[in-house]
Formats: sequence, C-alpha cells, structure tokens
Amino acid sequence: MKSVKTQKKVFITVDVLLILMMVLPIVAGIVLKVLTTPPSEGVSISGAMVFFSIPMPFQDLLITESQINSFLVLISIFGLCLYMTHGIKVKAETRRQRIAEWIVEKVEGMVNESMGDYFKGYAPFIAAIMALSAFSSLLSLFGLYPPTSDLNIVAGWAILVFVLITYYKLKSGPLKYLKGFFEPVPFLAPMNLIGEFATPLSMSFRHYGNVLSGTVISTLLASALQGLSHMILGWLPGALSNIPIFQIGIPAVLSIYFDVFSGCLQAYIFAMLTMMYVSGGFSYDDYLLRKQKRQQKRMAKNKKSKTKNNLEVV
Amino acid sequence: MQTLDVISVNIWQILISLINLVLLFLILKKFLFKPVKKMLQKRKDEIDAQYQAAADAEQTSEEHRKEWEATLATADAKADIILQNATENAKRHGDRLVMEAQEKAESIIRVAQNEAELERRKATEGIKREIVEVSGALTEKMLEREINVQDHHALIESFIEKIGEENDGNN
Repeated sequence: MKSVKTQKKVFITVDVLLILMMVLPIVAGIVLKVLTTPPSEGVSISGAMVFFSIPMPFQDLLITESQINSFLVLISIFGLCLYMTHGIKVKAETRRQRIAEWIVEKVEGMVNESMGDYFKGYAPFIAAIMALSAFSSLLSLFGLYPPTSDLNIVAGWAILVFVLITYYKLKSGPLKYLKGFFEPVPFLAPMNLIGEFATPLSMSFRHYGNVLSGTVISTLLASALQGLSHMILGWLPGALSNIPIFQIGIPAVLSIYFDVFSGCLQAYIFAMLTMMYVSGGFSYDDYLLRKQKRQQKRMAKNKKSKTKNNLEVV
Repeated sequence: MQTLDVISVNIWQILISLINLVLLFLILKKFLFKPVKKMLQKRKDEIDAQYQAAADAEQTSEEHRKEWEATLATADAKADIILQNATENAKRHGDRLVMEAQEKAESIIRVAQNEAELERRKATEGIKREIVEVSGALTEKMLEREINVQDHHALIESFIEKIGEENDGNN
C-alpha cells in the first residue's frame, strides 16, 4: 500500500520535473529577452541579437538569440517527448500517451505514404524537422525571436537535406547521377548544376523569408496602428492621447496568421519537400540492380580465389 | 547590444543548427518513437495473443460440439439397438410363453386323452365283464348248468375280444 503511494508520488514528481523541463527553457528565454533588449527607439527591423562571439577559423562563431532559442526549443521538445512517453502502458490510459501514439502513427503514415517503404526509418527525422521548425516559429508567440527567421538556422537544415538527397542519388548509381547533369542536352549542364544547388537554397529562403516577413509585417503594422491611434486621439490632452486603441486586438488576429498558421504551414512544407526530394532522388530499382551486380562481382571474385586456393592445395 | 543583419551567413551557426537538427532527430527517435513503437508492438502482440486464445477457444468448443453431436448420433443408434433388442426379447419371451402354453395345453389334452382312454378302457372292461356275466348267465340258463365264471373267464374274454376285433375291423 505504502509502496504504491510512494510510487505514485515519484511518478508525479517526475511529471512535474518534465513539465518544468518543457516550460523553463521558454521562461528562461523570455527572461533573457527582457533583460537584454535595449529600450526601443522607433521601428527597427534587424536580425538576431549577438550575445558574444567565439573566435574560430574562417569566421567567428556568433552566439546569437537564434542559437540560444533553438537550443531552448530543443530542450523543450526533449522534455515534451519524455513527458508524453512517461508511464507509457499497453492499455492507453492517459491523454498524453494517446497524443504520442497519434503523432507517431501519423508521421509514420505520412512518411510511408510519400516516401515508400524503403524510407521507413525517416519518420523520426521528418518529425524532428516538423517539430523544430514549428516550435521555433511558434516562439514568436512568446515575444521571443523565432530562430526560423534567421537564415543560418534554416540553411543548416536545408544543407542536411541536400546532403541526404545527394547521398541517395549517389546510392542509386554515381555514374547515373553524373550523367543526369548532361541530360537532356549536354550544354544544359550548368543549369542542372544550379538547379541542384537551388534546392536547398530555395528551401531555406522560403522558410526563412516567410517567417521573417511575418515579423516584418507585424512590426510595421504595429507601428502603423500606433500612428493611427495617435492621429485620432492626438487632440486629447495629456496621457489620453497615447491610448493605443487600434493596437488592441488587431495585431492578435494577424499574429494568428503570421505566427501560428504560417509557422506550422512552413514546417509542414519544409517536411514535405524534404520527403519529396529525398525519396525522389532515389530509385529503388536502380539500387537493387547495382547491389545485384556488386554481389555477382564479389561472387565471381570469391570463385576465382577459391579456384586459386584449390590449385594451390593441389 | 549588437544585432545581426537581416540576411547574414555564418558557417558555424549553420553547422550548429545542422547538428541541432540531428540531435533532435536522435532525441525523437530514442525518446518518442522507440518507446511508443515498442508499446505498440507489445499491444499488437497482446492482441494477437488474445485473438489466438479466442481462436483456440472456438476450436475447442467446436471440437466439443462435434464430439457431442457424434455421441448424440451414436445415442440414436444405441437407442435403436436397445429398442430392437427389447422387441426381440419381448418377441422371444412371447413366443416362449405361447409355446409353453401350447405345450401345457397339449399335455393337458394328452392327459385328458389318456384319462378318456382309461375311462373308455374301464368302460369296455366293465361292459365286457357284464357281457361275460350276461353271457355266462345266458349260457348257464341255456345249458342249465353252472358255469364257473372264474374258470371260463379267459375263454370268454378271448372270445369277446375276437368279436371286438371283428367289430373294429368292420368299422
């Protein structure tokens, strides 16, 4: 009886710790933001704040808001994962377990549907892209700097995706991959090369541009609304002229579009494109053919060495 | 505090964000997908086991049903056999009873016949004796002398017998 009680207590304590692990990074980010933001002077649109820089070869490593925030998101998602799978049972009792199951099944179904059976193991990767992108964009809801509006962050993901695309293209035949550049006509090779590199570039710029433009429009609109309310209430004496009547409510509606909808949509698009490009560059039939050929070669080699050995024995 | 330009490229930042994504991939794989899939597999196994158990139960019940049906069928046959036996027994018994009755009747008849025969014989004997006496008396009268019935009894008797035989033959 007592052991059950203590077990329950331990369970709840772990739960609380995990929830803190989810919430604390965001709180820390907000605190950091409040402490470090200089008093604003009018409308200004700029990149992430640089906290400090570490000297490195080629370029200094700048530790910026986006770096910190993406780490915070990482920790938060880690906590969320642990929380959702904490106390997981065969008989689903808790809502969080059902949510975790739903996520896993949905992502796996999506990956299976658009990438095929061969890429089954990609489900966590796609889930990681979606979660990181969506949560990073959603950070702007807390007034934090969304890391996805920093080109470097999104470019990192796009480069990883590009590496994967190229890897799978090479896997289905390096010669075929090289030949693909000279098709349909050889003089189009430079275009094809540009097209190859345009994939990660377009992916990263699309994502980053969308999130950044949301921020820019929000900022512009906020200042415009401020001006509007000042214009209308300007004749009132004293502090009354500074009542921001238009800044109540309207930015919130826009925020739903630019922060929530756009953020989630971009995450979805990024994940979809990743799946499409990675599975599109890979031809399973060619891969099998290549594998078979290699095996045959190996077998022939083995035979040769065997006959050699036999001869030696004889 | 210093801020970055809106568009700025820093390879180290790119690298760190790349590593972040890989890290999150590993985290999700290890801490979300692995336990959930393990649990789902376990659930699937359990469901499979339950299905198997249900199928087994169905099979055993089916076997039982067949067994019972078979016993029922044989029971009908058995009942038939028992009925047949019983009828046969009854028939045999009845036959025996009838036979016994017949035998008894026959024996009764035989006894009665014997008795009748005896009676008849007695009667004939009596008649004979009377005839002898009568004839004795007649002859006594006719011869006027006494005939010793005792002495001539055998003679007379043979004589009557002869008459009787002649009568029998005529008849």
